[in-house]
Amino acid sequence: MNNSAAGSSGDKNWGLVLVVPACAVLFILFVVFTLATSDEPTVAQPLEPSWFTPTTARGEDLQNKVMVGSCYLCHAYWTGLPDPDVVRPQFAHSAIQLDHGANDRCYNCHLIQDRNKYTANDGSGIMHTNVEQLCARCHGLIYNDWVAGTHGVQRGQWMTPTAFERQNFKCTHCHDPHAPAFKFEKYTPPPVWPEQIERQRAEAPPPSEKTE
Amino acid sequence: MEKGQKPDRKLNRRDFIAGMAVTLAAAGAGAAALSPLIRAEEIPPLEDVLQKHYQRLTPEEKKAIFARLEKRILATHGVQATIRDPQPLENAHFAYALNIGRCIGCRKCVYACMKENNLSRDPQIQYIRVLKMKKQGHGIDLESAVHDYPQEEAGDKNYYYMPVQCQQCENPPCVKVCPVKATWREEDGIVVIDYNWCIGCRYCQAACPYHARRFNFAKPRVPGAELNPNMGYLSNRPRFMGVMEKCTFCLHRTRTGRYPACLEVCPTGARKFGDMSDPDSEIRRIVDKERVYVLKQDLGTVPRFYYVFAK
Ligand code: HEC
Ligand code: HEC
Ligand code: HEC
Ligand code: HEC
Repeated sequence: MNNSAAGSSGDKNWGLVLVVPACAVLFILFVVFTLATSDEPTVAQPLEPSWFTPTTARGEDLQNKVMVGSCYLCHAYWTGLPDPDVVRPQFAHSAIQLDHGANDRCYNCHLIQDRNKYTANDGSGIMHTNVEQLCARCHGLIYNDWVAGTHGVQRGQWMTPTAFERQNFKCTHCHDPHAPAFKFEKYTPPPVWPEQIERQRAEAPPPSEKTE
Repeated sequence: MEKGQKPDRKLNRRDFIAGMAVTLAAAGAGAAALSPLIRAEEIPPLEDVLQKHYQRLTPEEKKAIFARLEKRILATHGVQATIRDPQPLENAHFAYALNIGRCIGCRKCVYACMKENNLSRDPQIQYIRVLKMKKQGHGIDLESAVHDYPQEEAGDKNYYYMPVQCQQCENPPCVKVCPVKATWREEDGIVVIDYNWCIGCRYCQAACPYHARRFNFAKPRVPGAELNPNMGYLSNRPRFMGVMEKCTFCLHRTRTGRYPACLEVCPTGARKFGDMSDPDSEIRRIVDKERVYVLKQDLGTVPRFYYVFAK
């Protein structure tokens, strides 16, 4: 009341003296702001390629197994009768740690006369390209699932005009035949949630408490 | 007062100053009120604003729109994209199954989805949320569910990991609440959004019981080098600020017969996708033979996304 009276009457118009420059300053500030702030969009961080590239549990591992198919290098000259009860070979294959449950004999799987092949039920060989036939001997149900497409991954076309457009992975792409429990340790980081929904997290007990 | 003495005087000094002050103040206030607009990160071009609803577009109009969008993407991202609009396959009925017993929570699907669907990297938008829940006897301790567990806590045998994304409900609450019909359910069961028609009211986000819809609070940013040039008009073309988006089962892929990106990247094979109307499909076999359940069945949303509880 007092102020407005002072503004509208009296010689010294203090109200206006303050308001006018204040408005002018605001206006200039605004103009400067809008002209000067060219918010250059911050360049988004690209994703780490390993987070989205498809891999199988043994993808790279398999490529290192150069020995597959070349067992003749040594075993062609094998003289002594191999011992069918070997669980842990001594020299050449000491890296192999058999961890396949009750299936703990090399020759359950590897053909005794021809190391390049795997044992079939009738004593004949299974080629490496059909390795799933080997697993099918003992894991029939899962093999059926695999054939139907419900165990393992398929990539490519789900609608298949020709089978060539679908990539189906063999058992050994995911399971190490010698230690078949599924291992895959390429994990990816948690999401960075936008601040708008941060509240939900604050309501939940902090993760540190939970782990303890 | 001077004013009373000379009523017909044109303009005195005091009135002029007062008028100027008021004008300046008004300009300042108005400008301040509008300033967010000027600093808006994205203002849609006029053609976008005038565009019709997707379902009313003629093929020629679509073609023109796609060409326009492609040109814009080339300008903003430096990528020659191709925008397609695959139509629902005849008699197809898409469904998804996820084997919780096998999921290890590696979250690769989350990032494959971001890559495939050109989701904003900053601020981050992800369609898939992976919940980590403690195993409790033969069940799940739902109270322990967290979706932002650190990377090192994945692959824990004592936990179940349950990825949740859009469930493509047959009776979708999000579609019901949309005031402008910007989202609808296609014939093959996929719920889609017309990003140009969406007004960003976020009703659907509130209505979705699965928290599957995402809102672009800021301009979505995707580095041009990472932009997926194979785009679908209703799925992964670049979105705008202020619109909703969500998983569409990668319809630009699935409607052309390919698997969704999240499935292809899954290292365990926990994810299965297919056409329910095909009696030989994987998905049909799973739904027929395995123990499947849907999330929040009691809500009557009838999801097309099944969770499997098997090895
Ligand atoms: C570097 C030469 C060499 C190559 C190549 C080789 N082996 Fe052997 N392998 C041996 C030797 C030496 C032994 C026996 C000594 C031992 O127990 O390590 C052996 C033993 C084995 C045994 C255990 C048999 C037993 O009675 O002790 C199996 C099974 C076997 N090899 C399989 C294979 C297969 C399958 C391949 C091909 C993928 C292969 N080997 C390639 C040298 C080789
Ligand atoms: C479950 C069946 C099975 C059993 C049991 C088994 N293998 Fe194998 N082995 C395979 C298969 C399948 C391969 C093919 C290569 C692969 O996928 O890693 C293989 C590959 C190999 C190779 C070549 C690749 C490598 O890892 O160096 C050697 C050597 C080998 N086996 C030795 C043995 C020995 C020695 C034993 C016994 C201790 C044994 N295997 C037991 C199935 C088996
Ligand atoms: C001679 C029979 C036999 C063959 C051939 C065989 N397995 Fe097995 N496998 C077994 C037995 C027995 C078990 C059960 C182990 C247990 O429960 O302790 C088993 C268990 C497994 C497991 C579960 C392991 C775990 O710890 O969860 C996997 C995975 C597996 N096998 C994969 C394979 C694959 C892949 C092949 C083909 C390369 C294969 N098996 C071939 C007999 C076989
Ligand atoms: C995409 C990778 C993949 C392929 C291919 C694959 N599996 Fe598996 N398999 C898995 C995963 C993941 C599990 C679950 C492991 C777990 O729960 O710890 C599993 C589990 C198993 C088990 C254990 C089941 C149980 O009840 O414990 C057996 C046995 C098995 N697989 C055999 C096979 C056979 C045989 C084949 C080939 C016909 C095969 N797998 C192909 C990924 C695969």
